[in-house]
Amino acid sequence: MRTEQDALTTTSNRLHPKQGEVIDRSTTIRFTFDGVEYTAHPGDTVASALTAAGVKVLSRSFKYHRPRGLLCCSGHCPNCLVQIGDEPNVRACTRPVEPGMEVRAQNVWPSLNRDLLSLTQLGSRFMPVGFYYKTFIRPQKLWPLYEHTLRHAAGLGEVDIDTPLGEFDKQYLHTDVVIVGGGPAGISAALSAAETGAQVLLFEENPALGGHLRFTVPLESSSTTKASKDLPELLEAVDRQPNITVFTDTSVLGWYQDNWLCAVKGARLFKIRTKSVVVATGAYETPLIFDNNDLPGVMLGSAVQRLVHLFGVLPGGQVVIVTANEDGWDVAADLQSLGVNVAAIVDEREPSACASPYREGLTNAGVPVFYRHTILEALGSNEVRGAKIARLDGQGEISLATAQSLQCDLIVTSMGWTPATELAYMAGGKSEYHEDRAEILPVSTPPGIYVVGRAAGTHAVNSQISEAQRAGSNAAAFVGFGEFDESTAYSSGVLEPRRTSERVCVPGKKKQFVCYCEDVTDEDVETAIAEGYDSIELLKRYSTISMGPCQGAMCSMNTIHLCARANDWTVQETGTTTARPPTTPVTLGALAGQNMEPVQTTPIHQWHLDHGADMMVAGLWLRPNHYGDPAAEATSVRERVGLIDVSPLGKLQLTGPGVPELLERIYTNQWDNLRVGRVRYGVMCNDEGVVLNDGVCAHVNDETWYMTTTSTGATTIFEWLQWWLQSGWGEGIHLTDLTDTYSAFNLAGPQSRTVLEKLTERNLANKAFPYMRLRSAKIAGVSCRLLRIGFTGELSYEVHCPSGYALHVWEALMDAGREFDIAPFGVEAQRILRLEKAHIIVGQDTDAMSDPLSANMAWAVKLDKPDFLGKPSLMRISAEGPKQLLVGFKMVEPNVVPDEGLQIVESEADGQLKIVGWITSSRFSPTLEEAIGLCWLPPDIASQNGASFTIRMDGHLAEARVHHGAFYDPDGERLRM
Amino acid sequence: MLLLTCPNCGDRNVSEFRFGGELSSRPKDPSALSDAEWANYLYMRNNVMDAQTEWWHHNVGCGLWFLAERHTRTNEVIKTYPYVKRET
Repeated sequence: MRTEQDALTTTSNRLHPKQGEVIDRSTTIRFTFDGVEYTAHPGDTVASALTAAGVKVLSRSFKYHRPRGLLCCSGHCPNCLVQIGDEPNVRACTRPVEPGMEVRAQNVWPSLNRDLLSLTQLGSRFMPVGFYYKTFIRPQKLWPLYEHTLRHAAGLGEVDIDTPLGEFDKQYLHTDVVIVGGGPAGISAALSAAETGAQVLLFEENPALGGHLRFTVPLESSSTTKASKDLPELLEAVDRQPNITVFTDTSVLGWYQDNWLCAVKGARLFKIRTKSVVVATGAYETPLIFDNNDLPGVMLGSAVQRLVHLFGVLPGGQVVIVTANEDGWDVAADLQSLGVNVAAIVDEREPSACASPYREGLTNAGVPVFYRHTILEALGSNEVRGAKIARLDGQGEISLATAQSLQCDLIVTSMGWTPATELAYMAGGKSEYHEDRAEILPVSTPPGIYVVGRAAGTHAVNSQISEAQRAGSNAAAFVGFGEFDESTAYSSGVLEPRRTSERVCVPGKKKQFVCYCEDVTDEDVETAIAEGYDSIELLKRYSTISMGPCQGAMCSMNTIHLCARANDWTVQETGTTTARPPTTPVTLGALAGQNMEPVQTTPIHQWHLDHGADMMVAGLWLRPNHYGDPAAEATSVRERVGLIDVSPLGKLQLTGPGVPELLERIYTNQWDNLRVGRVRYGVMCNDEGVVLNDGVCAHVNDETWYMTTTSTGATTIFEWLQWWLQSGWGEGIHLTDLTDTYSAFNLAGPQSRTVLEKLTERNLANKAFPYMRLRSAKIAGVSCRLLRIGFTGELSYEVHCPSGYALHVWEALMDAGREFDIAPFGVEAQRILRLEKAHIIVGQDTDAMSDPLSANMAWAVKLDKPDFLGKPSLMRISAEGPKQLLVGFKMVEPNVVPDEGLQIVESEADGQLKIVGWITSSRFSPTLEEAIGLCWLPPDIASQNGASFTIRMDGHLAEARVHHGAFYDPDGERLRM
Repeated sequence: MLLLTCPNCGDRNVSEFRFGGELSSRPKDPSALSDAEWANYLYMRNNVMDAQTEWWHHNVGCGLWFLAERHTRTNEVIKTYPYVKRET
């Protein structure tokens, strides 16, 4: 077992400094992995530093807890997911090391190197594909035990629910052309587009531009890698081009309608609107499926090149290269030049098919080459100790008799590429399987969407550059900059030699992983297909292949091949799964952004805060719930005088000769007889007869009406009225929303007239200004509208004043009321007061099924009007009779206040309780000193005053009695004082 | 995100608008309708997979209710225009 001392001194995997590496060797920083301290250089990723220290096992697999090591080293596979501090599921191969970082292995018990849960492999017959649909189901009572055990065994990192909310934000970007991917193709496209004058945003998921040129060596002798322009030249051109903005470390997660892209860089989410898109996202190197292909030490060729050239780290000393293309030979030449012992090149092709420029050199240097061979198995228990290879016969079948074992500590597979074309397909691009290339390549894309480089199947750098230059200028031309180059078509890639093998799977006897994320083996795929999940979309959902952190990058192409073979379909017939965002995992924090809930405040807001108000959110508004004692506030209104800020009320002004007819249509009661200076209560319904809103409307003068709506319904009703006005009922009507322009206060209580008289010269005597009237008046010098209405049940005046003077008027009213011991009151006191009057609140006592006939508002419905919104539906309800009625109730035990929402029940013959109603409002009335409320009941109970019914409380039943009419001042005398 | 062209304000994100359903109008004389005809007006929609004329409201913009011709499968917006009342 490795000790801390060993770890600190083991740096033998670090190569000598070389050009292009991204680490700063002058500085050494320290971090821990599972409690053991390691060193790193600035620029190292967690994975490169651990590989430099000889650590091969980074994680345990999802289901079988098998040891896993670096595979792709590009941020696309799940093998290096680790926990860093309280952040789970971090990709060690892309996360830079920071001093003091605490890195832990995930999904291990008790430790990474001795994971007892890996014994689940022995019981893997209990976890076949789709096991969560089949096993651990019966007996049902054991499920809690199963669940506990499975939760412990499965999954990835641990979420710490006590983690403080991080800082996340969003940024909106607007541009002409977006280039996704900053390799040679992406850079060239960006340069061409920018030269025309178009604004270009260039997104790269790695920390630097360059793509594969950062870690492949363009040697003079190599026809495949020699570039017409080298990387420094390209980077310099980008620097000089002011029309290009580069975003590194930024993943583009998805394409949405009308070229709306989503990208993420750390804690920032970008929402980008562009006019055209060039997809230059490259390709994923495709793993080969063989026995124990997940053993730490089995890596992709491009992964080895990244480690070697970016971080100066050698992941092994003795390597077997398994390949089917020139890329594998490139890796072999690269490693051999660094002094690595290349134990063998295992190439499945005939010698004649190999066109590698390194072939002669490697052969002359004595590197053993096995043509027409492939790998059967990775040997070793916790990490690679050797490779078993065998010859292929004339039909391409494995000749087991020729099997032989080679010693090595690293197996590199370079078997081909899966173009990373998700974004192009999200945008509506179409693809085809090219038999000669063994790749699914784009054949068409919608206007303004272009695919270039490896994503389009083009690997030769010179071709990538010229193809991308064309696409870049076309993308700009699509936006209106420069001319179209008509020669663009998805063909250049097809002309290249084949790089991808169709041999995705070498049959064997041990576990072979198709999907590393979810531990799905080739056998699982066969089983799933045999069980009938044969289509590629069903296979994905049933086996969960491609649904893990890699999102199909490692497994999608191999799965398609396996699915095609098992069904005896062609790859083209098999098809692909639908590409959907996000292309790579994204934190919920980044999607959520800042924790911002915008609220509206009234002009009196600061006064409320200064006077100890407990604020609550009501709709979009912040309102005082109370100022300390809501019951005392209610009593002030009943006995003396109180003042409430009702500025959030919807306030609409309607002018014109057409208004009376409109009011007749939108309210359920009569309006064309409302004289000037009068106020009337009205209910609005939709055509289904459902109550939308209620409020009062005043006839201000000849052609002006002033309507108020509920606070929470203000926006909806404004939209509702706009709709009817603009779709045919608007002739002769102007509608203006004055909700913010005017503020409103309700001065309520027996002393309210006396208080208001101190501030105005207007005659407020009951005769001059009776109940349900509107008057204009100067209050404290400010022109106001006064509405004498009474939600609270007391004499009261609603004072509407211009919002700019609101605080002045409010303070004047408070000053004037001081000698009468005036109290400000909040929403809670108002709710008590209105409940004592059995006044309903639309949305509290009614829901999306409530009609006014049932909701105790039949008096406000005039069914003999010619027509109004909801009339035909209400006629029908009236004829059939309501099914439930809203009615008041008192509790038999006067101190028991049932919670709002509780059920009203009846006993059935068998002793079961049947729900027959529910409570919508309930309070303890300080005036009556008993509990009161409103509830929905069947008509036979609701229609009998005093009828008793049963409420299901928490753990027991309570009795209540129907109460008809207002609980307080049933004749409304106090309103008319 | 879908772009919609408000006849007053030009191209805006669809999040600025409220969808108002496919174009339909309230019957001229509801009292003349049978229950079935009234229910048809309230609840039945054509739900075509084709170009559809529909209501949109620029609710965080100018407040205009206007019409859009949109293909329900491709989401392509063919045109948008203000509603003009025509006597039929």
